[in-house]
Amino acid sequence: MRTRLAPTDISRPSDCLSHIEAEDLAPLPPPYEDFNTTAIPPLKPEKVRHIETSLDDTVALGIPKPASPEEEEALVRQFLSGLKKLFEKENNWTFLQPLLLSMEHCAKCQTCADACPVFEMSGRKEIYRPIFRAEVLRRIYKKYLRPGGKITAKLTGDIDLNWTAIARLAELSYRCTLCRRCAAACPIGVDNGLIAHEIRKLFSQEMGIAPKELHEKGTVQHLQVGSSTGMKPPGAKDSLEFIQEEMEEITGYKVDIPWDVEGADILLIHNAGEILAWPDNVGAFAVIFQAAGVSWTLSSEAAGYDVVNYGLWYDDVQFSRVAVRHADIARRLKVKKIVIGECGHAHKALTVVADRLLTGDLNIPRESALVTLADIVLSGKLRLDPRRNDFPVTLHDPCNIVRSMGIVAPQRRILKKIAPRFREMTPHGVENYCCGGGSGFAIMSGHNFVDWRNRVSSRKKFLQILAAFANEPAEVPKYVCAPCSNCKGAIRDLIRYYHAEERSRLYYGGLVDLIVNAMADMKKPIIRFGDEPSWKA
Amino acid sequence: MGLYVLTYVCALVFVLAMGLRIRRQIALPVHVRWELYPVRHETAERVAYGGSYLEALNWWERPDERSVWNELKYMAPEILLMRGLWKDNRRLWWVSFPFHFGLYLMTATFGLLLLHALLALVGSQDLAEGHPLGRLLDVLIVLAGWTGLILGNIGCLGLFHRRLADPELRDYASFADYLNLGFIFLFFLCAFAAGLGDPSLAGARAYALGLLTAGSAPAASVPGPSAAGIATVVMASLLAAYIPLTHMSHMLMKYFFYHNVKWDDAPNRRGGKIEAAVRKNLGLRPTWQAWHVGADGRKSWREIAASEPGEMK
Repeated sequence: MRTRLAPTDISRPSDCLSHIEAEDLAPLPPPYEDFNTTAIPPLKPEKVRHIETSLDDTVALGIPKPASPEEEEALVRQFLSGLKKLFEKENNWTFLQPLLLSMEHCAKCQTCADACPVFEMSGRKEIYRPIFRAEVLRRIYKKYLRPGGKITAKLTGDIDLNWTAIARLAELSYRCTLCRRCAAACPIGVDNGLIAHEIRKLFSQEMGIAPKELHEKGTVQHLQVGSSTGMKPPGAKDSLEFIQEEMEEITGYKVDIPWDVEGADILLIHNAGEILAWPDNVGAFAVIFQAAGVSWTLSSEAAGYDVVNYGLWYDDVQFSRVAVRHADIARRLKVKKIVIGECGHAHKALTVVADRLLTGDLNIPRESALVTLADIVLSGKLRLDPRRNDFPVTLHDPCNIVRSMGIVAPQRRILKKIAPRFREMTPHGVENYCCGGGSGFAIMSGHNFVDWRNRVSSRKKFLQILAAFANEPAEVPKYVCAPCSNCKGAIRDLIRYYHAEERSRLYYGGLVDLIVNAMADMKKPIIRFGDEPSWKA
Repeated sequence: MGLYVLTYVCALVFVLAMGLRIRRQIALPVHVRWELYPVRHETAERVAYGGSYLEALNWWERPDERSVWNELKYMAPEILLMRGLWKDNRRLWWVSFPFHFGLYLMTATFGLLLLHALLALVGSQDLAEGHPLGRLLDVLIVLAGWTGLILGNIGCLGLFHRRLADPELRDYASFADYLNLGFIFLFFLCAFAAGLGDPSLAGARAYALGLLTAGSAPAASVPGPSAAGIATVVMASLLAAYIPLTHMSHMLMKYFFYHNVKWDDAPNRRGGKIEAAVRKNLGLRPTWQAWHVGADGRKSWREIAASEPGEMK
């Protein structure tokens, strides 16, 4: 009897297509072996009775089960209608060429498989193989949309289409972090990450199915109240006032945070999650810009203080709306450029992807904060004392900043100047591994999805971090520098989940925190290791 | 004459089908940027670590520093030696490289045969007995032909073995994948058999001359075709017509993968060609049905992007 799963199995009825057993996962080294034998907490039957859970042992979407066979049939028809639109320029000019190329030219050589951290860390679970979901979509497309597809399917690869297959495919599109390591490894250039992205889009734009963290609480809330955190403009200003006071108290350095300054050189937009979860990061930017004499401003307009764009991960329409909103705010403020704070996906969304969306006076120049900061640090505008960062530091490369934008060197130039005990992870730069929180995973927390993320999609990053500090004694505090809010969130969760602060003294933070920590004018350190300051005044 | 007609028709199918594929790619609308680094036309310093022009302060004020040479330096070993596969999938490279390089050499042999025929037709002295160029051409034809045949057959057998023996490949292989491979293997086998009876490939030279003269040149029928030779011509012709109809057209489509997606980092400048194309795209009228999209087939992308999602209305 065959036990390996094949793409055709996606439509086979069963309660769970693939289980995630603890012993299948890539083993963790000491002192984390206890996690090698504990399973992901099971889904609670009373909470998942009415939703689709037949893919694996977790849920990202929570699609309601259809009430009748008729409803199932209607959903199948809706899916096919959406699939057709993916291949029409009126509906999908945004990704039509990349999608067509990837759908038509895969040689199924499996080179992508070894590049995928989710597949590798899961113990090579077939459903997580990069071409598994791509091949399912490819076969449905060829069989149900191509002329004569039902006949040629016998030759090119058959598949049955039913509601089970569709519900599983929807969930499966949220088991890929869209890190695109697979696409970088493909000798032809096929992009399985893009195919996962397009599946997500089909479900969102045609069927209205998307994780609530990305849609209702994400882009809709962003456009409605001003931020995906739910923070309204007055709340943002209040928080920044508090941060201003905090920074003075922490560092003994008084900062003024400018708001809505028309004609400023720079409009700085943060991920608003920083304001709530890592206020020091926002304060550190203010300290650096003020000390360097930069002409800058924040915007208090709705969406103007939150640079995230969750649409990048699942919906081109929502993506466009958020990007246009950001550009329009900058246009009206008459700034020379937008500088994007430490947020990886926002970097890619606003700088690269929106570049083919913004026209005329909406096309305001956009720049990575890492570039702006490198210029400030290397130009000698700040008095820096790198001895204040005398602790082991490693750098996490956010996929969206390195692999998708080629911004690799500026952050390293800064670290080489301010962190004497900096060491690279292996591999790093454009060959980095995702934090496991990419494509929205860092903010998705329904049911036991956080357990899945920490156990599977973030596992490779955890192993990389441990390896980077392998030669350091356990009692020495270690700093993982992650210049991206989502990556930072994923690494924070990893550290908590595996008790890595207690067991390995792992800490995390951004790049600006390290810069301010090394500024000679600071009276007190901004970085603390638990109760312990990183340097003594 | 029948064989020549078959080759002409198949060559025409190849050109038309490939032309249609290329035309289709060119006609597609400009899409959003989705590049992946390293982008090989960057400066040599940046290519070394995968950097981009976006690393420069105020990058939009800097001159474009793209280098075609850097691109070629990468693409030549990628196409000829399959460098990516060597780096990321070594086990497959050992069978995939001989297969692909065998095909390249067969294509090169065909090119050399046509050159030989062309020189013969124009009565070039270069082909006269003992002339160094003629001797070089003969040696190259035999060398490229035989190396290609040997590598191609090894590659086909190796790929068959890998597809059948490795469950990771087998589970995703369709009948069409085996058919494609079988087709190419049959061609290599026929050509090998023909070569055994004609090691200097004199028959191939004669056929190439016949192709350029529709069989009217007297030398085109010397030596006469063997059964294996005829089978080779039939298989090669059909293969040329078949490849552009399948995913094997990736040999040319790879250009679009790299230049239009992976390495397409061209910035949208105000008043430029990209902006004009984007403006055209923004005028398209989507029909997505989800409530939040608010599309009705009449509103354009531009209007929808400036509107609020359905939930907010």
